[in-house]
Amino acid sequence: MKRFLSSPTRPVETVARPVTTDVHQHLWPVGLLEGLRRRTAPPRLVGWELHLDGEPTTWIDPAAHDLARREAVDRADAVDLTLLSLSAPLGIESMPPEESTPLLAAWHALADDLEAAAAAAGAPSHHGLWASPRLVEPDLVELAELLAHPRVAGLQVPASAMATPGALEALAPVLRTAEVADLPVLVHPGPAAPVGHGAGGLDGRPLPGWWPALTSYVGQQGAAWHAWHVAGRALLPELRIAFVGLAGLAPLHHERLAQRGGALGAVDPGVHYETSSYGPRAIDAMARVVGVDPLVLGSDRPYATATDPGLGEAFGRALRATNPHHLLNGGPR
Amino acid sequence: MTLAPETRPAAADGSGTLPAAALPPLPGRTLSEPELRAWVTELAARPALWRDHVAHGTGRRHYVSLHRDTDVDVWLLCWDTTDDTGWHDHDTSAGAVVVVDGAVVEQRPRLGGVPASRTVPAGRSFAFGPDHIHRMSGAVDGSVSIHAYSPPLWRMGQYAISPDGVMRRWSVSYADELRPVD
Repeated sequence: MKRFLSSPTRPVETVARPVTTDVHQHLWPVGLLEGLRRRTAPPRLVGWELHLDGEPTTWIDPAAHDLARREAVDRADAVDLTLLSLSAPLGIESMPPEESTPLLAAWHALADDLEAAAAAAGAPSHHGLWASPRLVEPDLVELAELLAHPRVAGLQVPASAMATPGALEALAPVLRTAEVADLPVLVHPGPAAPVGHGAGGLDGRPLPGWWPALTSYVGQQGAAWHAWHVAGRALLPELRIAFVGLAGLAPLHHERLAQRGGALGAVDPGVHYETSSYGPRAIDAMARVVGVDPLVLGSDRPYATATDPGLGEAFGRALRATNPHHLLNGGPR
Repeated sequence: MTLAPETRPAAADGSGTLPAAALPPLPGRTLSEPELRAWVTELAARPALWRDHVAHGTGRRHYVSLHRDTDVDVWLLCWDTTDDTGWHDHDTSAGAVVVVDGAVVEQRPRLGGVPASRTVPAGRSFAFGPDHIHRMSGAVDGSVSIHAYSPPLWRMGQYAISPDGVMRRWSVSYADELRPVD
């Protein structure tokens, strides 16, 4: 089975030592930017202004999507390997195939670009990416081929596509392509529900820019995690899966779950929690419930930055290297 | 109704996690010291569950997480005589240890005095509460012990005692003990 390497050239045996890995960043390649500019309906770019149905219009900083600049930031952060993902809140995966296909192709072209750049430089690549599936009429053969690409680390799906056990069951054939490839799945918030342009704030003012991240995204991650908890392991016995944003802190609700007739059960070593946008208090609280092993570093750059949880050197090594290595490659600890 | 993860195959991901259905029964709440000691002794009597995870001479400390839920946290620890935990406590957790191979040394600090020390051989067990401060080491190479903690490990206290007997404590995550930087 494929093992995800930081280098396109080094054999598997030489990369046994886990490297510091940020499993969650975003970067929009030029082809994707151009594709979004060609659109006349959300999600679309007008110049560098992003228009979405469910979120306030925002300005995209071109510098934030420059690969060389990002690599310099990662080096300063002592990150050896960065996994890039499509911004699932754009909702591209769930658009009609004639709209989603060219945009997803533009996203996945980044894998070829990364591989070519590493080969040209004769140096290890510091980047990989999460593949994003087309969710309307998915092409599972094409997806399996995509997952075999040396720069593809796994599959990302929007949490909104697995919001209930039934939805997860419907999504399972897509997730199974990752399971068969022995690659992980990353669950990321999907599109925020539209709240109306310019409405919702005090005195008719717009909502704060952070509104979707603290309401819809958290809720989506929580629903997806509970759907997984009910049905995931029975559907996909071998899959390694990670929930960004500490799964909306869903496992912290385990006492409430028990009061209402459910049970957290044994901590599943194949389920991981990515820490982006959280800090010492929430990360510490999650460690108290699920332990140290499931926690993996993610920064969500350029939208957020990772903070040091301050829980010691051993915790830091587990969070930043050992646990991401286990998410990406499985195997014994 | 939540489908508990017990249905998943054992160690499908290559980790040491045991299928929950194979474990001795748990009461579904925090366990007392005597309960922990009885439970871990019962687990030790089922070597088919954990024997394959024993490893020595790997060049690093070998600790395997066997099980964790909301009430209990269970580890298999492999000891050589070079392995020493240093002084520590378990914050709010009680614990129990059963030695299954070789022997381990447990010491408890005496400020200004010689630590209380005992060697615990294979087949013996002991339990302790959250008030317990100790350090453990391998008495002989190739020793193995199984540890259970309730509530599950979270923070720990690490201690240093200066030559003149002054003790200091640091609050650390349990990774410092069980997922150490080699």
